[in-house]
Amino acid sequence: MHYPEPISKLIDSFMKLPGIGPKTAVRLAFFVLEMKEDDVFEFGKALVNAKRDLTYCSNCHHITDRDPCMICEDTSRDQTTICVVHDSKDVIAMEKMREYRGLYHVLHGAISPVEGIGPEDIKVAELIKRLQDDTVQELIMATDPNIEGEATAMYISRLVKPTGIKITRIAHGLPVGGDLEYADEVTLSRALEGRREI
Amino acid sequence: MHLKELQLNNYRNYKSEEVSFQDQVNVFIGENAQGKTNIMEAIYVLGFAKSHRTPRDKELIRWDCEYGKIEGRIQKRNGPLSLQIVISQKGKKAKYNHIEQRRLTDYIGALNIVMFAPEDLNLVKGSPQVRRRFIDMEIGQISPVYLHHLSQYQKILQQRNHLLRDLGRRRKSEQEMMLDILTEQLVEYAVKIVSKRHQFLKMLQEWASPIHSGITKGKESLEIQYKSSVQVSDSADMTKMIEEYNDKFTKIKEKEMERGTTMAGPHRDDLMLYVNEKDVQIYGSQGQQRTTALSLKLAEIDLIKSEVGEYPLLLLDDVLSELDDSRQSHLLNTIQGKVQTFVTTTSVDGIEHETLKSASLFNVEHGTATLIK
Repeated sequence: MHYPEPISKLIDSFMKLPGIGPKTAVRLAFFVLEMKEDDVFEFGKALVNAKRDLTYCSNCHHITDRDPCMICEDTSRDQTTICVVHDSKDVIAMEKMREYRGLYHVLHGAISPVEGIGPEDIKVAELIKRLQDDTVQELIMATDPNIEGEATAMYISRLVKPTGIKITRIAHGLPVGGDLEYADEVTLSRALEGRREI
Repeated sequence: MHLKELQLNNYRNYKSEEVSFQDQVNVFIGENAQGKTNIMEAIYVLGFAKSHRTPRDKELIRWDCEYGKIEGRIQKRNGPLSLQIVISQKGKKAKYNHIEQRRLTDYIGALNIVMFAPEDLNLVKGSPQVRRRFIDMEIGQISPVYLHHLSQYQKILQQRNHLLRDLGRRRKSEQEMMLDILTEQLVEYAVKIVSKRHQFLKMLQEWASPIHSGITKGKESLEIQYKSSVQVSDSADMTKMIEEYNDKFTKIKEKEMERGTTMAGPHRDDLMLYVNEKDVQIYGSQGQQRTTALSLKLAEIDLIKSEVGEYPLLLLDDVLSELDDSRQSHLLNTIQGKVQTFVTTTSVDGIEHETLKSASLFNVEHGTATLIK
């Protein structure tokens, strides 16, 4: 089908977003045509600004609009604990909880030889640098509970072990508030493996 | 468990077909290339969510069609169950009681199946890969956790092989550490898999050896052994086994780095079959190999019954005519009255057995199956 160039460009742009296929892209593009000009302008500005004004924190590598980020700047936070995660979305998930008061370190990926990603391709060296002075006493490894996340956690823990810093791994198992009967066999067997005395 | 009804849409050479079955024996008779084995395959796919004949799901879709569908109504001990597999150009969907299962491991195991086809003779004669596949499929039917461990193991294995292949691209200390970690992960799952396989084969042996001596009228004894790439002294002691694997990987490290691949672990193990203490793969006659394959298959029926609490379905694809009278009658005696069985054959003439007299007969022609008796 032939669209005038401006709209086919817009459709093309929408299709670059994750989870949006050709049909949705067409729908969104035509919706934009119906929108008020001011709203469209605001929308465009928001897109550009998000890209232009956001950088990564030079300390923890979380996305931020100022460097260092709000979390690293906040002196009321516990400076002795660092929670290590895969990406910025994980930081936001942890922050929503409002329970954790320590700092973060975002790795931006996981070790995976299949994809050609080694330790030097993610922010491991940067993490080690942060441990040089004696402030940090505990590293919480909160990488994803899959093969790559597990390998990444193991790699970092081996690097850090000699320094004597305490390293912990978040628990995996049943979701809280869920019913036991709805858990799949694999999660259940993991939860059983990690059972503890009460 | 019993398959009550099978519905096929745009599947292989079937456009739209619905067949009802009886709980005992169902026989499909027809010339070659009419669609007998396709029905067997459809039942198999319903149970395992994949074909025994091809790894490419798309081949199951009828020529020039967008999608193919297999649907079955099953009667289990604790109630009816509906299973559905839809294969499209994009992939496949498995539904359990009309609810789509995101993971196939949640689906497999609902319908237990034991299949015996001519190519199963390869179980004895063929490569180790055929026997590993047999073990994995059978344990998978009764243990979903095993399937998960197996897929985790495959992922780690892939990572480890990549690392070994691309050596020299990174700093040496980094590489060593990554290899150590992947070895540790690999061993963690290897031990779980191997221990489960040991346990399974021990049970299989318990069921298979009386069957085997029954078929051979006490003349032959069958023994099953697991051949591991690592000396396993006690498959129940996990910590000991981990140590043994670690030792092995330390020993072969240089060689692995040279060849660029993982050289020990369950992906290289094998199943050994001995008849009268001789390796039947090498020293067995054609007939002994056939009997051994049959004993293993029949043992599975009992094993599934004891593990799951119900008899599986038995699919006999073109094998009845391949067996001599005594094996044939042993087979038919075993299933009599308890196991719902599906048989394909070009003709039932010459098979005189009680079990077949009460069977439902279907005539299969050009992608249709019609009840004739």
